[in-house]
Amino acid sequence: MIQVVLADDEVLARQKLRQLLREERDIEVAGECATASETIELVRLVKPNILFLDIRMPGMDGFDVIGALSEDRLPMPAIIFTTAYDQYALRAFEVHAVDYLLKPFTAERLHTAIYRVREGALANESAMGSSEVDADALGPATRIVFKSRGRILFLPVAEIRWVVAEENYVRLCTAQDTHLLRETMSHLETRLDPQMFLRVHRSYIVNLNHVKEVRTEQNGESIVVMNDGHKLAMSRGYRSRILESMRR
Amino acid sequence: MTVQPKARHRTQLVLMHPVVFLGAWVLLGTVLALQDWINLHRWGYHISFVIELEAWDMEFLIFGILSFLMWRFAGTFIQNGRLGRVLAAAFPLSVAVSVLKEMTFVLFFPNLPLNRPHMSYWERLQFHLYANVVNDMVIFWCSVFLFRGLGYYQRSLKSENIAAQLEVQLSNARLSALRMQLNPHFLFNAMNSISSLMRTDVDAADEMLEQLSSLLRISLERGSAQLIPLSDEIEFIEVYLSMQDRRYSDRIRRRVTVDPELYDVLVPAMILQPIVENAYVHGLSKIEKNGDLLIEVHRQQSYVEFTITNSGVGLIASSQKPSGHGVGISNLCNRLRLHYGEKGSFELTQLDSNLVRVRIRFPIQTSDGHSEHPTRFGAE
Repeated sequence: MIQVVLADDEVLARQKLRQLLREERDIEVAGECATASETIELVRLVKPNILFLDIRMPGMDGFDVIGALSEDRLPMPAIIFTTAYDQYALRAFEVHAVDYLLKPFTAERLHTAIYRVREGALANESAMGSSEVDADALGPATRIVFKSRGRILFLPVAEIRWVVAEENYVRLCTAQDTHLLRETMSHLETRLDPQMFLRVHRSYIVNLNHVKEVRTEQNGESIVVMNDGHKLAMSRGYRSRILESMRR
Repeated sequence: MTVQPKARHRTQLVLMHPVVFLGAWVLLGTVLALQDWINLHRWGYHISFVIELEAWDMEFLIFGILSFLMWRFAGTFIQNGRLGRVLAAAFPLSVAVSVLKEMTFVLFFPNLPLNRPHMSYWERLQFHLYANVVNDMVIFWCSVFLFRGLGYYQRSLKSENIAAQLEVQLSNARLSALRMQLNPHFLFNAMNSISSLMRTDVDAADEMLEQLSSLLRISLERGSAQLIPLSDEIEFIEVYLSMQDRRYSDRIRRRVTVDPELYDVLVPAMILQPIVENAYVHGLSKIEKNGDLLIEVHRQQSYVEFTITNSGVGLIASSQKPSGHGVGISNLCNRLRLHYGEKGSFELTQLDSNLVRVRIRFPIQTSDGHSEHPTRFGAE
């Protein structure tokens, strides 16, 4: 069973979480708390797998809770922030929170967050509480934080199927959605893992895990066919590169 | 608009800085000393230039100090008092200041006038007063009128400033009032939809509530910004459209097409929502199936052009008319006029018996600094 602790100073907020979590069979609510100090105590006591954490609570805030827990040198629970404020998103991202749910959130959005924990998209507990991640200094990005249509997303890059360039912006396409980011194609390319992502065109980057085949049309143009049937044009110059990658 | 008067205001204050003010007096003294010295030379009197300079500079320095003190202690009265009262008060003051000035001067120069047998302090004072009292009074009155003039100048700057500020405030107030009228109307409709969904489909109500919060968050983040990047406006309208999808399920096909090069162009906030809402209320809601809504944003030379085409019952059958349409649309036209004057345009056309098109054009204006959307990469 996945043990979870709910920390929120509002009883209705905890009640909502409790109710929605009932639908997740493998989840058990180990306890609830309304203040930061209670939360620290309870987490030390029950050592949950997931901590749902509100940011603004009386006394100390959610980040203080994380600070106190990370000093314990014990495995940290996966943190899912639940808050009405969007301005802490970057900070939450930097302390390795799994997700950031803006209130009010839907059952579906909560489900995605829990799915991320199960997937272990962020399973390496040793990283928790370690020094902040500065993406440009380290290896390829494993996830991207951004704001899209009033939501905050901590998107694992593996969920990106392909990327389309739109002038000064890029559009990230996932299974359900597309997101417009103000970002250049070349910068994004340097941040993505070359083992997983390949530039096939001036305007396209594809996730190789989602590529079905590379095909030459009757007119001689090459295209990339994605697993979901979506077709993307491929530049001649990139053809040999992608064939080589697919052989690997 | 308000920057220029402020800058002029500051230069005027620089004149009244003690160093600048006294420096100006001493400079005047120096020029007069030079003139006196040259004049005396021409008439055969040979006097050391140093003595000339000392005497003239000291004289004007004393004057400078006295009139600076007058500025400090009576400046406000001279500037703002009734002219009659200022003159009445300045008359005895002019005598007092002249005498005070000569008293100080005589104290500093016991050997003046030159080449005379020994004279007592009072005799010398008498001598200087006879020689200079008219000059002293003239200079005193010049100071008084200078200060008075500065007062008029300052007041005119101030009123100019206020007028400019008022103009800005007025148009801001007008614009934000217009924007506010768009929001609550839509807000209450959405809440009513949620209230209705709550009884039939909890998940749908939940989803709509989340979307409504997203819309509120986006608008709160914009704050009072009148012009926002097109990408933000499109983001807003996409959330709005997905809310409408819920209400109209599969009856409507919709498409949004934007030239990516226009994403950073500044557009009036909430420019699309009233039009799209109109398209639903007056057109799309009246048809059973296969409704079409097409939103396009393209560039036309130096203009950005929004084209919103929707199927429905047409203008005549609905209450939608080119003139006398809803408050949302007339607000939008007003905002276009306030922002772009003659260069903005709004046009509502019936293309077909069941096809209506709205076209909006205004000059392209690009934002330089971009909004701080937090995008960051993380690696483990």
